[in-house]
Amino acid sequence: MIRNYFKIIWRNTIREKQFTFLNILGLTIGITSCFIIGLYVYNEVTYDTSHEKGDRIYRINQSYIWGDWNDQYAATGPNVAVALKADAPEFEKVTRMLSIGSQNMRNKSATENTNIFKEEGYFLAEENFFEVFSFEFIKGDPKTALKEPMSLAITQETASRYFGNEDPMGKPLEVRKSDGTWDTFTVTAVLADVPENSHIQFDILGSLSTIQKKLQNQNWLWAWTGFGTYGLVKEGTDVENLTNKIQAIPPKWAARTTERLFSQPYEEFTDGKEWKLYLQPLKEIYLSDTPNEHAFGPNGNPQFVKLFSAIGILILFLCSINFMNLSTARSSKRSKEVGIRKVLGSDRNRLIKQFVLESTLFVAASTLLAIILTQLSLRGFNAIADKELSFIPLLMNPICIGIIILFIFILGIAAGSYPAFYLSSFQPIETLKGKVTSVFKGKNLRNGLVVFQFTISIALIICAFFVQKQLAYTSSLDLGLIKDNVLQIHNIEQLGDRAETLKAKLEANPAFTHVGKSYGIPPNVWSGDKYRAFGPENPAIHFTDVRTEGDFLDVLGLTFIEGRNFDPDRIADKYGVVLNKEAVKVLGWGKRDAYAADSPVGKFVAMTNESADKMEVLGIVEDFNFSTTKEKIGPLVILHQDNDKVWNYGRGRTFLAARLDPKGVENSRNLQTLIEGIEKEMAQIDPSILFEYSFMDQEFEKTFKSEQRMAKVLNIFTVLALIIACLGLFGLAAFSAERRIKELGIRKVLGAKVFELALLFSSEFTKLVMISILLASPIAYLLVNEWLKDFAYRTPIDIWVFLIAAICAIAITLLTVSMQTLKAAMTNPVDNLRTE
Amino acid sequence: MLLQLNNISKWVHSGGQKVFLLKDINFWVHEGDFISIMGPSGSGKSTLLNIIGMLDGFDEGEYSFLEESVHRLKEKHRANLYKQYIGFVFQSYHLLDELTVKENLEMPLLYKKIGGSERKALVADMLDRFNIVGKKDLFPSQLSGGQQQLVGIARALIASPKLILADEPTGNLNSKQGEEIMEIFKQLNNEGVTIIQVTHSEKNTAYGSRIINLLDGSIV
Repeated sequence: MIRNYFKIIWRNTIREKQFTFLNILGLTIGITSCFIIGLYVYNEVTYDTSHEKGDRIYRINQSYIWGDWNDQYAATGPNVAVALKADAPEFEKVTRMLSIGSQNMRNKSATENTNIFKEEGYFLAEENFFEVFSFEFIKGDPKTALKEPMSLAITQETASRYFGNEDPMGKPLEVRKSDGTWDTFTVTAVLADVPENSHIQFDILGSLSTIQKKLQNQNWLWAWTGFGTYGLVKEGTDVENLTNKIQAIPPKWAARTTERLFSQPYEEFTDGKEWKLYLQPLKEIYLSDTPNEHAFGPNGNPQFVKLFSAIGILILFLCSINFMNLSTARSSKRSKEVGIRKVLGSDRNRLIKQFVLESTLFVAASTLLAIILTQLSLRGFNAIADKELSFIPLLMNPICIGIIILFIFILGIAAGSYPAFYLSSFQPIETLKGKVTSVFKGKNLRNGLVVFQFTISIALIICAFFVQKQLAYTSSLDLGLIKDNVLQIHNIEQLGDRAETLKAKLEANPAFTHVGKSYGIPPNVWSGDKYRAFGPENPAIHFTDVRTEGDFLDVLGLTFIEGRNFDPDRIADKYGVVLNKEAVKVLGWGKRDAYAADSPVGKFVAMTNESADKMEVLGIVEDFNFSTTKEKIGPLVILHQDNDKVWNYGRGRTFLAARLDPKGVENSRNLQTLIEGIEKEMAQIDPSILFEYSFMDQEFEKTFKSEQRMAKVLNIFTVLALIIACLGLFGLAAFSAERRIKELGIRKVLGAKVFELALLFSSEFTKLVMISILLASPIAYLLVNEWLKDFAYRTPIDIWVFLIAAICAIAITLLTVSMQTLKAAMTNPVDNLRTE
Repeated sequence: MLLQLNNISKWVHSGGQKVFLLKDINFWVHEGDFISIMGPSGSGKSTLLNIIGMLDGFDEGEYSFLEESVHRLKEKHRANLYKQYIGFVFQSYHLLDELTVKENLEMPLLYKKIGGSERKALVADMLDRFNIVGKKDLFPSQLSGGQQQLVGIARALIASPKLILADEPTGNLNSKQGEEIMEIFKQLNNEGVTIIQVTHSEKNTAYGSRIINLLDGSIV
């Protein structure tokens, strides 16, 4: 019997090529999408699962004391680990990582200076780091690798970068210091490259003991928030209790920091807010919403994971619906077979089994094709989504194979059950007499399914439109500064005092209109501190601050609304500040219309209550975007580069920004020559410094990288969902054409024109799509509205986008059914009427 | 007695009124009969045949087949009964287009769960008997109407039924093919198979032993 089923399924498959093609194509696209999304989601949710003691590792987060205290902050000061070790014996180990920014390194034995690399993945880690995390060692001892000062544990890839095929163990590597001299480190361990699905991504780990002296002096600090603190709890620890217990630590240990650093008692600093410590399980770190970033590697976006999971499931739904629709639409053909089989003695169960077997085979064939297609398209997807997904290793895994087989059965049964029950319910006499009235009973359901498919597709189209619109909107925003034609030269801090030499050279170059030095460049101005309007009664408020010189403000093209810029000829200006409008408002000095009566210029801001620390306001600038345009512009203090009243955390990176005269660089070759010229000049000053540059407009673009990536992926799946829906519609139209051919023939005999018939026929489907548009619009509106909430500057939800989506959908519908329409409308009525 | 119908009626409701498809049919068949049911279009011939074949139900009356009361049987038993004893032949043959001649013949045996080797033997027998061995691997669409009906009859016969129900078996055939088919029925009847045919053709009734005339659902 089974052989007979296979035979008839196979022959049906061959005979009904169009049906088979539509079905397999739809299923294959659907399953492929589902596989790719599945791989993506699997990859996202299995971060940090390879650590041996992973289920006992927690990251210690704290309240975001530099902003909204309700948010969690993944970084802590050095003292948190000290306090936990002292007060919480439940921790078997507590370890710290420290982010100190990228470093320039070279292999000491290589004589040439060209062998310098900028290491972005360079962090310091505590001695016991590898006893908590199980990163794979190739050479060296996990227990002692980071024990001694000036030790480096490097990954294999890094090792080959500096040492080629030589054994790096015990060899020296040099790290450039800010004064231009080099520190010599020793390689103590070689690790396998860090797996892609780890939230900690490093190339080189230096021993934290390297900065022992500094650490000993500042181990009490809670404000030096460059540390990641991780704890390994003892087995059987009740983490909830432990979390409650460690809430006692901040009041006890952080008070010293608030008193000494901010001159405030703990209670005044917290001001009624809770300074909390959180224990975040290792496996939840990567996909956490708060904190949503950290210094040691990537942080996933839980929204994307949810969004794509939903899209994956929807696409699977769409292709199952397609299958059902096409199968039942074909029922007039299959009904005869059902009738004969029933007359020859088949009962309903056997027919159901046959049809379910058929759909399962379809699904199995499509799954095989999908596996191939997934493998083929994965590289493209990886490029777009910036991922390193791979399918083949998973396919070797028996559990995965099991899941795929289960998937085939479930999808086969799900997609096949409705057609099976529907087709097997036919009464044999009716089907054999050709009176298949019951065949049409499923029409409403089929139409409903098509409406459902198109609702999803249209909603996706509208969402995709708005995502694009929002991205276009943010990139065309008036930022308050002129972001185009600004060349940024990096690593200026390594030039030390010689930076002025380079600056003078650039200023002399007619290609540049303005040149300025700065310690932070929009959109990457992040650092901040607490400032207040001078006076003991005024509250300290978190401000973003940036250290720079007057020339840089000219480069940015900021608008001064009050006062003046820094003047290099006035020595006192080094303790002056320039505020943005928002800062004036936050300090309580009124909005712009109040300036005339009571100008903020000449007032003072300060970090403490000491009158020696106060700084005079020199000028007020119009608000401008100094960080991401996702957020509203916050208060900003612009400090003079030589201001030593504000503690500068090691000064950090310095840039020279130069505004290009657009006339001077008319083409890219000019620009290239110009940049090479600067590189040479910098090399003349100090050949050991890495030459790096970027453009400000590109940096602004980069802040939307993840949104742009999401938009691309969303576009792809929107198109796929639409294709699947169109396949369903095509099938339905083919069925309808077959069913209505007699009706259309009669109409034609009675005098209907081809055009009228085409209109009549296609209106059946445009009606369905119109309903879908009506259903999809509010759904899409809600989704878009929700998504836009993440942005401070939102594109308006215009009605014309909905109209365009509607017009597109109808056009696509007409195109999809056009072939069937013409076929139905143009055939000679005599042919059709004679068959009856 | 092979089967007996007592006061069988069947009706539908149309426009609030009962419309009788069959009314008070009394009818019996002995083994070895060759009965022709005649009557104009809409007189209920096919309905009667379907009721006899247990493909259709009725609203009133009693039907016994080989001493079993069909109207009291459950669906499954009824199906078993007709599977075992009744073969159907249709006006438009109703062969499965996707299966070859051989496979079409095999189908009823599959549903009776007859083993492979026996199936092969029975199919070979039939092919032989109807002289269609050469056509066994062809699909229905590759055969003429008469040949398709031959396969249809062979398929009806393969499970050795006691009764063959034929609904206008020659309706789609030309007169020469029709005669051939009727000759086969005659011969089968001579071999002891009971046959009930629905027909429009006076000529076909000549092959039978008894004629039942239907008009508006009643026997006249």
